[in-house]
Formats: sequence, C-alpha cells, structure tokens
Amino acid sequence: MDVKGKNFSRFLERQQAHNDQHDARAEAKQHSKGKLTAWERIDILFDEDTFEEVDAFVTADKANTGFGKVQQAFGDGVIIGHGLIRGRLTFAYAQDFTVMGGSLGTVHAAKIMKIQDMALKMGAPMIGLIDSGGARIQEGVASLAGYAGIFYRNVQSSGVIPQISVILGPAAGGAVYSPSITDFVFMTDQTSYMFVTGPNVVKEVLNEDVSLNDLGGAGVHSKKSGVAHLIYPDEENTLMGVRQLLAYLPSNNMENSPEMELSDDETADFEEILRDIVPDDPNKPYDVIDVIRQIVDKRSFYEIAENYAQNIVIGFGRLDGKVIGIVANQPKVLAGTLDINSSSKGARFIRFCDTFNIPLLILEDVPGFLPGIDQEHNGIIRHGAKMLYAFADATVPRITVILRKSYGGAYCVMNSKNLGGDFNFSWPTAEIAVMGPEGAVAILYRKELDDSDDPAAMKKELATKYRSEIANPYVAEERGFIDEVIDPAETRLKLIRAYEALETKHITTPARKHGNIPL
Amino acid sequence: MKIKSILIANRGEIAIRIIKTAKKMGIRSYVIKTAKEPGAWYLEEADEIIDFSEKFDETIPEFLDIERIIKSAKKHKVDAIHPGYGFLAENPGFAKRCEEEKIAFIGPSHDAIYRMGHKTIAKELARESNVPLLGGSPGAVADAEEARKFANEIGYPVILKAAAGGGGRGMRVVEKEKDIERMFNLATNEAEKAFNNPDVFLERFVREPRHIEFQILGDQHGNVVHLGERECSIQRKHQKLLEESPSPALDKALRKTMGDAAINIAKSVNYYSAGTVEFLLDKDNSFSFMEMNTRIQVEHPVTEKVTGIDLIEQMIRIAEGEKLAFTQKDIKLNGWAIEWRINAEDVQSGFSPSLGTIEKISWSENEHIRVDTGVRDGSVITPYYDSMIAKLIVHAETREKALQQSSLAIKKFWIKGTKTTLAFCRAVLQNRNFRKGNFNTSFLSKELKLHYHQEPDEALLAAFFATYDYAREINENEEKPLHTKNGNMITPWVLNKRLR
Amino acid sequence: MARAAKKKKTTSLIALSATNKAYEFKKPLEKKIKYQGEVVEIKLHEDSKGFSYIVWKKKKYLLDVIEKKQNRYTIMINGVWHSFTVETPISLKRKRYLEQQNNSSSSVSIEAPMPGKIIDIMVEEGGEVKEGEPIIILEAMKMQNEITSHVTGIIHAISVKKNDSVMKDDVLIEIKRA
Repeated sequence: MDVKGKNFSRFLERQQAHNDQHDARAEAKQHSKGKLTAWERIDILFDEDTFEEVDAFVTADKANTGFGKVQQAFGDGVIIGHGLIRGRLTFAYAQDFTVMGGSLGTVHAAKIMKIQDMALKMGAPMIGLIDSGGARIQEGVASLAGYAGIFYRNVQSSGVIPQISVILGPAAGGAVYSPSITDFVFMTDQTSYMFVTGPNVVKEVLNEDVSLNDLGGAGVHSKKSGVAHLIYPDEENTLMGVRQLLAYLPSNNMENSPEMELSDDETADFEEILRDIVPDDPNKPYDVIDVIRQIVDKRSFYEIAENYAQNIVIGFGRLDGKVIGIVANQPKVLAGTLDINSSSKGARFIRFCDTFNIPLLILEDVPGFLPGIDQEHNGIIRHGAKMLYAFADATVPRITVILRKSYGGAYCVMNSKNLGGDFNFSWPTAEIAVMGPEGAVAILYRKELDDSDDPAAMKKELATKYRSEIANPYVAEERGFIDEVIDPAETRLKLIRAYEALETKHITTPARKHGNIPL
Repeated sequence: MKIKSILIANRGEIAIRIIKTAKKMGIRSYVIKTAKEPGAWYLEEADEIIDFSEKFDETIPEFLDIERIIKSAKKHKVDAIHPGYGFLAENPGFAKRCEEEKIAFIGPSHDAIYRMGHKTIAKELARESNVPLLGGSPGAVADAEEARKFANEIGYPVILKAAAGGGGRGMRVVEKEKDIERMFNLATNEAEKAFNNPDVFLERFVREPRHIEFQILGDQHGNVVHLGERECSIQRKHQKLLEESPSPALDKALRKTMGDAAINIAKSVNYYSAGTVEFLLDKDNSFSFMEMNTRIQVEHPVTEKVTGIDLIEQMIRIAEGEKLAFTQKDIKLNGWAIEWRINAEDVQSGFSPSLGTIEKISWSENEHIRVDTGVRDGSVITPYYDSMIAKLIVHAETREKALQQSSLAIKKFWIKGTKTTLAFCRAVLQNRNFRKGNFNTSFLSKELKLHYHQEPDEALLAAFFATYDYAREINENEEKPLHTKNGNMITPWVLNKRLR
Repeated sequence: MARAAKKKKTTSLIALSATNKAYEFKKPLEKKIKYQGEVVEIKLHEDSKGFSYIVWKKKKYLLDVIEKKQNRYTIMINGVWHSFTVETPISLKRKRYLEQQNNSSSSVSIEAPMPGKIIDIMVEEGGEVKEGEPIIILEAMKMQNEITSHVTGIIHAISVKKNDSVMKDDVLIEIKRA
C-alpha cells in the first residue's frame, strides 16, 4: 500500500490491526451491564475531537505469562492521552473492562504512570476513569508494584495539579487507594463499587452476606463513608459533572481558577431576602444553602459531598465571576454542630482550596461541637483539630460571616479573627459567646436560681440580659474580633470588595518541610 | 358595654378576617407575634402587635398559653378577646378566665362551651331536646375490650371519636372486629396528641351520609335564629375540602325541621354568639345530631354571602350585650355560595402536607369572588400550623352559575412555589354527580376516581420543559467562556506566596 | 479496543416519567414539538408578577419547577406535578438494562414522605407485609399519617426507632419483595 509513492504499508497494517481489535460483542456486553466503553467515556469527557491517544500499541508484558493466560491486546486494557476540556489541556487514563476485566498489569500500570508524569510536568489536571477488576493475578508482584508506582505519583502530584477519579465500574483491593488520594472521587449509581475486600472475603472471614451495592456502592460511599464526593445516576451525567467541576479549578497550583463572565440576570448586589432567611427564633432551623445561593453568582454554587456529614456544607461558587470555596454550617442538620465527620469533610476541602489558590468563605452558624460518648471516644478532639489546623494553615484569603450562633470552641475553629481570618463579618442576628444563654445563666446564677420563687422567669430575664450584654455581635465588633457588623442584604457586595482587597494577600511562614496536621 | 379594642388570639386568615370587621366598627385590633411566623401578614394588618416571640415555655404553644394571653390583654387594657377558630376557641377554661378578668370573650359562655364540648353531655342535651341521635357508647370507652363490646352490640361499622375532638383528628372508622384494637390505639394516641385527652367514644357509623351543618346566632337575651345550612359533605378523612350554602339536598320543609332542631339544641345551653350545629343526613332524609361547634367556623363566609350578615360583627355585638336586630323570618337565603379551600397539600400523594414558600399568589377579582387568606407573596407554610393557603368563596344567583364562576376563578387562581389543592378543585368541578348536586361524604373515596384534574397536553408540556431546562443548563455551563489569563500572569507577590 | 468511529453529541433528549412513559424531543432548545404530525411552537413567558407560563396552542399553562436535581425534575403544570428523569438515548438504554436486572431480586425502601416524628412501628424485622398495609405512623403537621407499604414482601430492615425524628426521604424500612 502506497501513499503518495511512499511505503506506508506496515504503518497502515498496524492501524488496521488496531481497528480490528474493536469487538462488537465485548462492547454489547459492556452496554448490557449499563456501562459505556472506555472510548465512549472519553468522547463524552473531552471536547469533541480533541483527544490524542498515547501508547496505543503497547501490549502486555510477555515475560509474565507463566501462570494463567494473558491476553495480548493493543493498549493492554487502558487508554491514556490528552485532550481539551472546555478548551483547557487535561490528561486522562480510561481503563477498558473489556480487556481482561481492566486488570492492572505491569504495562497497564506503566502507561498510567507515564500519563501521570506528563500531567505533572505540564501542570494540567489528571483524570482517571476507573473500571477495573484489580491487580492482574497472572503478573504477580509486578502488578502490585504498578499500583505502588501510581500511588507514589498521585502523592507527588497532590497539591500541584488537580486529580480526579471517576469510578465507573469496580475498584477493588489496592485499586481503591489511588482514588482516595486524589482530590475528588465521582461515582455512578448502581454500576460502580469500591471496597478493599469484596463480598466473598467478607463472607469467608465474618460469615456475613452483603451485596456489592451494600458493601461499596455509590450510595454507601456518598452517605456513610464519605469516600465519594459526587454521585450521578448515569455515566453521561457523571462525566458531564467532571467537566462542570473542572471549570472551578485551576490547571495547577501556580494558576488561579478560571473566571467566568456574569450573565445579564446576575444576582443583585442588594438582596433584601437575606434579611429574612435566618429565623428570629434561635432554635429554628433553616437551609444555609438558601443563603449561599443568594450570595454567589446565580446558579454558580456547586456542592461537594452533599450527602455526607450534612451538618457542614462545602462547595465551590463564583463571586463576581471569581471562584471561591465555601464552608458553611448547616443549621438544618444536627443544628449545624461540628462532629467528627463534618470536621474531616471541612478540613480536607479547606486544604484543597488552600493548595489551589481558591479563596475561602466561611458562613458560620454553629452552636458548638456535638456532645456525646460516641463522639468523644471516637476522637472528636483529634478530628475537630483537623479543621482548626486547616484554617490556621491556609494562606489563601479567608473571610468569615457569622450568620447566627457562634459559641465556644466552635467559634475559635470556624476561622475566627485570631485564627487568621482576613475579614470577619457578622450579621446583626449573631450570638457570639462562650456558650448559649441558657447554659451560661444556669452556671453563673445557679445559687440565685435555686433560691428564686420563680426560677423560670428569672432565667428568662437573665438570658435576655446575657444576650444584650454578652452574646451579641456588637461586643465583638467593639473589641475588633468582628471587623464589621453588616446588613445581610449587602453581604454579596461587602464580600466582593473584601476579596478584591485581599487579591495580593501575602504571608511569610517559617521554613519547614511541612506541618504536622493531626491526621 | 361598647367594645373599643380586641385582642385576637389567633393568626393567619381568620385574624385578618376579624381585623377587617374590627376596622369597619372602629375597634382597635391587637394580635400576637410568634417566633414561628415573625413576618406573617396578619401582623401588619393589625393596629397593635403583642410580641410573644421570646418564649417562656417550649411546651405551651403561644396561642394556647392562656395565662400569657390574659396577662397581655390586661396589660394593654383590651376590652375583648376573639379566639377565632382552633386553638383556644372551644376551651371553656379560657372563656372562664376572660370572664373572671372582666374581659369580654367574643363567643359563648364557658358553660355552653363546656357542655357542648363534652360529647356525652352534649348528647344528653340533644336527647332532652328531642333531637335524633346515633347509637353508641354513653361516654368515653375505657379500653379496646369495651370498644369491642359496644361495637358488637350496635354492629359494624362503628366510628371512634376523640371526646375532646373536632376537625377529624382522633377519629377512626372500624369496619371489622379484627381492626378494633389497632384503631382504638390509634384514635386514643392521636386524641392524646391533639387534645391532651385520650378519651374516645364510639358510635354507629352511618354509611355515606351527607354532612350538613346549621349556622346559629343567639344573643344574651334568649333569642336564637339559624342562618341556614352549609353542605360540608366533600371531605377527606373528616377534613372539609369545600362547603356550600345552601345544600342541594335540603328543601324548605327539611330546612325548617333541621333548623328548628339546631335552635333547640342551642337553647338547651342558653347559647349566645355564633355557633354551628352539625348533623348527619341519611339518604332517607332522616338526620342525627353529631356535635355543636361553639365558635366561628372556617366556612362561615358562605353563610355570610347568602345571608348578607357579617358574622364576626354579630359576634362582637352580641358580646357587647346587644339584642339580635333580626328574627328568623327576616333571614333570607340569597343565591348560592361555594367555598373552595386551597391548601398547601399534595393531592397526588394522598393530600400530604406540602411545606414551602408561597413565592407568588394571585387571583382575579370580581363581584362573584371573595378570597380570605393569610398569605401573600413570600409567605411560608410552616409545619407548626395548618396547611390552609386561602379560601376562595364564589357567590352567584344559582348553583349552576356559582359553579361556572368557580371554574373561571380556579383557572385564574395562580400559586407558585408549593403544591396546592387547586387541581383537586378542578377535578371536583369536572365531576358530573357533583355538578348535579348528587354526592355525600363518600364522594372522595368512591365517586372521584382521580383526585386531581389535568388537561390532555399538560404531561407533554411538563416533559418538554424538563428536557428544555436540562438542555439549557448544559448549554449554559458549556458555552460560557472560561478566562484563564489572569491566572497565568503571576506577580512576584503571588509566586512568593505559592512557594512559601 | 480500537476507537470506534462515531459522532458523540446528539441533542435528542427523553423525559422519562415515573410510570415509565417516555417523551422524546429532538431539539428541545428550539422550542418546537412535533405534535400529531405537525410542528407546534412552544412559547415560554414570565408575567410582570413573576409567574412563568407556557403558551401552547393559544392556551396558557401555569408552570412551576418544584424540584430539580441533576437530571431529576418535578414540573408543575396548572397545579398538577409530573416527575421525570431526563435521559439521553444512551442513558435510557442503560436504565432499561439495569431495570431488567433489578426486577429479578430487589429490596424496596420505604422513605419518609415528609419530615416528622415516628409514633409507631407496626411491623417487625422478618415479618411479612402486604401491599397497602400500614407499617409506620409518622406525625407531621399535627397529623398522624399512616405510611403504607407499596409492595408485598418480608421486612428486611427497620432503620428507625419510635420517637425518632426523620427528614424527608429518610429510609424508614426496607422490604424484600416477595
């Protein structure tokens, strides 16, 4: 076969052979499980016609075929390459379940490491589309070494480029640790699983019956374990979700997040409705997401891990087109208290924002830490400290707005002034003190209350006095712990100006290898 | 005594309704502000607000806190208290405290409330007044075993009712003996919750009766008249969904017989103020006394429309000691009125409550339409109170015309933000037997197959909009350009920071 | 597997109702529906008061989006709501495949229809329950609501206790289909 007189026949043969590898039956089988093929996934993830494959012709290591059979397929069950996502360079690998169940052999692993190295060198996001039965048993220790090499690169890339794992099938055994190191884990409902030991092992060791889905399905990991951050009902929406998330992230830690122009119907700078969202009754719940939506640019709030530790809300939003990370107590759930899970959820998000130059906004309404034996015994001290550490350690601009309650240790933790908050605002509805009125009065006036004829009335009177003298934002404002008590309706405007003022924030920290966060 | 100021111990539409009449009569109105609804509309309509939002006691809701209400009334030196409906309206202790503190209670005497509120006494009074009754237990039923005994005596089906009840809560129909224990437990449990009194009694259950009630007005001088009946048969689980006056089931003679019975019952307790006597009407036009409600009813506007009498005004005048300015023969029923209750309920999921914010509400106004409501744009439907959004009252010369006008009015009643019973109203209007006036309390369970009405293309349009919105969102996300330029221009400041 | 030559982006979307009825729209953004052989235009409006409505064949239909999450929508037209998931031809196929698999063996969760308090649990783990039988009493808005089972089967797990407060959509009970 000649092309313009040159002999390209070998080249074209190889191309043909590669094309012939396309197996309609395998594709149909993948579809019948409700899953897409690796190429279909790549097509959805990347901008049309921008993906370039690397290492399409490598095959499995022939040296390792002593035990069992290893299929010699082009690509060895994984596609790697680069392309554009909304015009920005992105690297990815996609495991192909139709080739030996997407199992990870030496060559398969080497390909993933190759593309990881490239992503890190180029400073572009790295995305893994995972659909794999795990380590390739036939290749033994070499495939385990492959996993270790991937983990090592995951860690080296951490905090330098955004890494996203998309679980679209099984991820079992050692395979789960790469996603868990990456910044965000997406899962597709019903067709993806993650576990360290599968149902068979659980049955053998503990004699418990558990289904794939109950052990490590998307529901479990989004609600109970917190391993997965974003769940979608099908693969297309999952992959579109990845595209959506990437729009908030910089390509690497030396860049800022991309900006977006405001549309015409943009949120007004004066939102009267914000004055009414927080109820007068301090014990009445409300949805803090309503507050967030009123403050950020319209339709720009993108919540992360919404089903896990719902007493804290985290997510990205845009303020005047610029990306911010939001950490907010959720009064609707457990009254917005901090507990073990919400502390770790918040802390990890704060760390992410800090490494990738995303300014933080803290919306605070926290009555304190969740009391209880369970919490204390499981180490709320240790875990609560994570959040405190993460805030204090963050050098990105960070602004707190106290919406309502801010009591005790939780006040300190939630990016208080002396923890390094750049601007600490408060709404007039705020109550800031060591503890709530009822508790404080009971301690300070125990004897007087015991002696009183009408302790209920006295208690109420003292509580009112406590509110007006201690538990209000004005005391804090007068002492400079609050920079300004603001009109809720003006929150957005105040924040836009505050972040503008913080754009060139610069902090010099002592030289050290790294801090020792209480993990 | 002339009443110059009224404290309204209620909220929502009925508070606004009372304020309206008070304004007309030159009376100052006071209302209570609670932490549960600090921005409610009724607060703005009143002349004065008494703030209850700082709570004393978590266990006593604001509108049930007798001593606090009395204390506030005295502090503000109000002449009278109107309890509205629900809450303390039928609490004899509250009426008594008002009397003790020399505050006019705009309602009947505490004695009349007590006796009519006590189902066994009320039944005894009816018997003495020769008003027909249903068979059943003479008083509260002690336990499930006793309930079983009574039920076996009078035969199934039977109904268990909270002795202190009303409004459908604590009521259970038992069809078969095997259910009686479970139903008894449910009813007592619910009665305990709702009325703080677990007592229930048992009576024969009339299958598919009509629910007819008579509006009564009596003064403190022994005069009692009735203002015609209200047809309240369209109910779900004993909650009324729409009411009309007159009833298509009554003719002049039956109206007189039942009206007289109602007056007799009222007279047996020297009743004064506005009250309602409820009857069950069987298919053979025999009727039996159910209970008397010693308060203004939710559905009072239909009576006001056909009689032209302002019932709240009459209640105030009676409380002032005035004599009724009319006798029975002066009362003329003029035309036909229907009240459609528009509730924040999910008709498609068994009328379950649908909380949320009424983002927008609007209706067209004309001479046929009256709307009583306590909400406006931005009002919140909370779980603390009932789910009523508005009452749409339509009045015309005939029932047919009233139905026609209702159809137009419902079509133009627009609410955004919550699920409502409007689609149910449409379904009722479409029903042939309803239009003919041929229905009873089984209408919802038997006659109305689908509890909501939709036009043929509505599902298609909804489907279209879902796909449209989805496509639009993806389009918006994907097409908005991302600007990364700023990020790439790193100043020494920023660089320094990054490499800390 | 080699790169299969295929065009990725199709604009056809399908709204799948709760009762599995599929409505396909070729290009929803163009706001036209093929209806009984002809193409009819759909107009979307918002009036000065802030109500949104659709004009379709010269009639007004009040429009309200009750719920919207990912691809799940609840749209209210003239006071009647309709729930859909928006699917592409591919995701619809996936859905059908998965349904086939799930129908064979599946447990059904009964979720709280509204926030409230558990007053009574009328079944025990391992017990049988018939379709339409009451299983839990949930108090909300001062009413005691009977939550009934919509399937016949065996109670697999009870995830709440008496007096628990539950949020909307919390799983109360799981039933293994008989």
